[in-house]
Amino acid sequence: MRYIVGYTDTPAGHDALALGVRLARTDGARLDVVLVLANEERPTIVPADPGYEKFLRETAEGWLAGAIDRVPEGVKATSHLVYAESLADGLLEAIDTLGASLVVVGAARGGLLGRFALSTVANALLHAAPVPVALAPSGCRDLAETPVSRITCAVGTRAGADALLATGIRAARAGGVPLRLLSLVALDEPTGADRPEALARAREHAEEVLAHAVDELPRDLAVTSEVATGRAIDDAITAIAWDPAEIVFVGSSRLAQPRRLFLGSTAAKMLRELPVPLVVVPRDAPTQIGDPS
Amino acid sequence: MTAPETTPQGSSDPASPPTAATAALSKKGLGAGTVGLVGAIVIGISCIAPAYTLTGALGPTVAEVGTHVPAIFLVGFIPMLLVAFGYRELNSRMPDSGTSFTWATRAFGPWVGWMAGWGLIAATIVVLSNLAGIAVDFFYLMLSQIFQNPDIADLTTNPFINVVTCLAFMLGATLISYRDMQTTQKLQYVLVGFQLLVMVFFGIVAFVHVGAGDAFDALPISLDWFNPFAVGSFSAFAAGLSLSIFIFWGWDVTLTMSEETKGSSSTPGKAATATVVIIVVLYLFLSVSLINYAGVGEGEFGLGNPDIQGNVFFSLAGPILGPLAILVSIAVLSSSAASLQSTFVSPARTLLAMGHYGALSPKFSKVHPRFFTPGYATIVSSLVASVFYTVMRFISEDVLWDTITTLGMLICFYYGLTAFACVWYFRKQWFSSARNFFFQFFSPLVGGLILAVLFFTTIIESANPDYGSGSNIGGVGLVFILGMVIILTGIVVMLIQAKLRPDFFRNRTLARGIAGDRNESTAALPE
Repeated sequence: MRYIVGYTDTPAGHDALALGVRLARTDGARLDVVLVLANEERPTIVPADPGYEKFLRETAEGWLAGAIDRVPEGVKATSHLVYAESLADGLLEAIDTLGASLVVVGAARGGLLGRFALSTVANALLHAAPVPVALAPSGCRDLAETPVSRITCAVGTRAGADALLATGIRAARAGGVPLRLLSLVALDEPTGADRPEALARAREHAEEVLAHAVDELPRDLAVTSEVATGRAIDDAITAIAWDPAEIVFVGSSRLAQPRRLFLGSTAAKMLRELPVPLVVVPRDAPTQIGDPS
Repeated sequence: MTAPETTPQGSSDPASPPTAATAALSKKGLGAGTVGLVGAIVIGISCIAPAYTLTGALGPTVAEVGTHVPAIFLVGFIPMLLVAFGYRELNSRMPDSGTSFTWATRAFGPWVGWMAGWGLIAATIVVLSNLAGIAVDFFYLMLSQIFQNPDIADLTTNPFINVVTCLAFMLGATLISYRDMQTTQKLQYVLVGFQLLVMVFFGIVAFVHVGAGDAFDALPISLDWFNPFAVGSFSAFAAGLSLSIFIFWGWDVTLTMSEETKGSSSTPGKAATATVVIIVVLYLFLSVSLINYAGVGEGEFGLGNPDIQGNVFFSLAGPILGPLAILVSIAVLSSSAASLQSTFVSPARTLLAMGHYGALSPKFSKVHPRFFTPGYATIVSSLVASVFYTVMRFISEDVLWDTITTLGMLICFYYGLTAFACVWYFRKQWFSSARNFFFQFFSPLVGGLILAVLFFTTIIESANPDYGSGSNIGGVGLVFILGMVIILTGIVVMLIQAKLRPDFFRNRTLARGIAGDRNESTAALPE
């Protein structure tokens, strides 16, 4: 099993590498650290300069060597220099050629908007990647040595989460970490006086679904379940406890094309609110995360 | 460092062999064979930016040689061509982003090499400020054409508005360069095609006015205009020539695009030839038509009028094209924008090479980790160009004119050094073949000598307060002062660097040598 890290020698790239290392350790995967340079096939009004291209390639090799140095003992890592139209294109190509099971990128755009704006590459991958995309939030690089403490699977109450649940189970089992099933309930619509009742009903329904899911799970896992409620998803997300060392699995949107990712509105809100890494799993494609190999 | 073409690059697990999958990922960055003949011509024309170049250079050249502009434009191409041959030889032997700096260092050692690099950077910074200045003029002209209010065009003469607008343009160009934003190929073709069509249209309409008898100051075309020997004095000839070298500046890139052009190995040669034929024909056509239309007198629209000489299209577009004059504004603006973008790259890359070899602070060799551009060097070039323009705008009576003249002098300086570097570097193999003799010895030597003569003549002549636009400080020509300040500043900065970073100046980072020595292949890569 190979995990790709979309690397740049920037804070966001270091976040991605740190998360890649933690995921690889948990799942026993090997890392492919990929750095994408712009190829000269794109149109340009600046004449190509072989001298500069050579310099750039050497610099990039230096960055990659630095990245491999950051990977601790015990995690296998290989570096690749790829030329493509854009960072996202290069990573998609690498997923295909390397047969990778997951790709990790830095989620934060950096700059003024900080973690509230999704990086261009994360955005592009979420619309096009055929494999799960792990988004490393800004600051994630400080937890490089911290083992994954728990896997939270945001299953929801609607259909279409089977692939997600299966992935979460395999990942938790592979890493020997507890699994938490989470259902987020929000009542956005103004419902007036009967509001608390509606909330209670929704909560009840979610608890039933979760209880059923937990019953179905194999007995070798430490499973907990939790329902978070709030007026809006944002409130629900902040209403429960999060551990910075955990990893959250969310499903992609139902609007996505088959076997392609798309970030649903709930997942997008989670990304904005949460300081924890998010793994976005394609809705209906079987994933290989946690597969013994 | 590992060999560049092998992937995987490095591994914490050396036992794992590179699989077929990883090997498939390794591709060379330069798309070998991706730029076709037309693409190469488009890049060449875009780098020369004829609309911008001509509006900036025509007036000052008329001021020097009167009606003999076509002759000077033809002759000006000769030294450019001769030096470009040498440039191509060096580029194919030692491709390096430092170009003139690296080559002159290899041939003549660190001190001369440093000054060649300085000359290149200074020349491009001067042209950046001139480009942005022309763009500002045309920006306000275009606004006045859109809103049909001539007062708007005069805003450009207000130094504060002018400087602020220019700085805004510079900021935009810096951002584009810093983030390496590229236009699409289609847009590039459209812009270059549009630029050429508008220029041809502009010339034709000027002739039509002459034919209709309502030209401003019709001057009958004479064969004498094409005779370079009819120019009055040698100093006028030299001054005109150093200006006309500027109008072909940038053309040499088409000659060096050998690696990525597709088709046969003759594509770069064909592209360079086609580019220069298009450019020369266009220059001759436009200069003849405008002299024919407006004459070289000092009347309102006469090309001899010092008030319009820094930017002649700005004044002539209206009288010639009437309501369609906005086309010229758009053509010059797009031409300046494209040129601004391609010009920004060259000082930044030379600064990067100088930082890399320890001739300047290592900060200059930093490559931006996300945009892969020489970020620090780009910002420094932009800041210096902005400051230079601001200062010039306030001390010069005719900033555009003076910068173009200074530019001609600086191009002669560093191109001349580059040409001599070529001759000296290949000294052991001049006579090993007729080809070597011509491209490595004869062409660059003659080209270099012509540029050297032009350089010294311009320096001596420009000390006269009446030289060029007539800007002067205390009775000494401004162009002379500028040239001296630029070169002396270079020497001072070089001495400071020699104190701070002695390694480069003791030949430790980039060794002096000759063609084919063992340092050649590593010249670009000190381990």
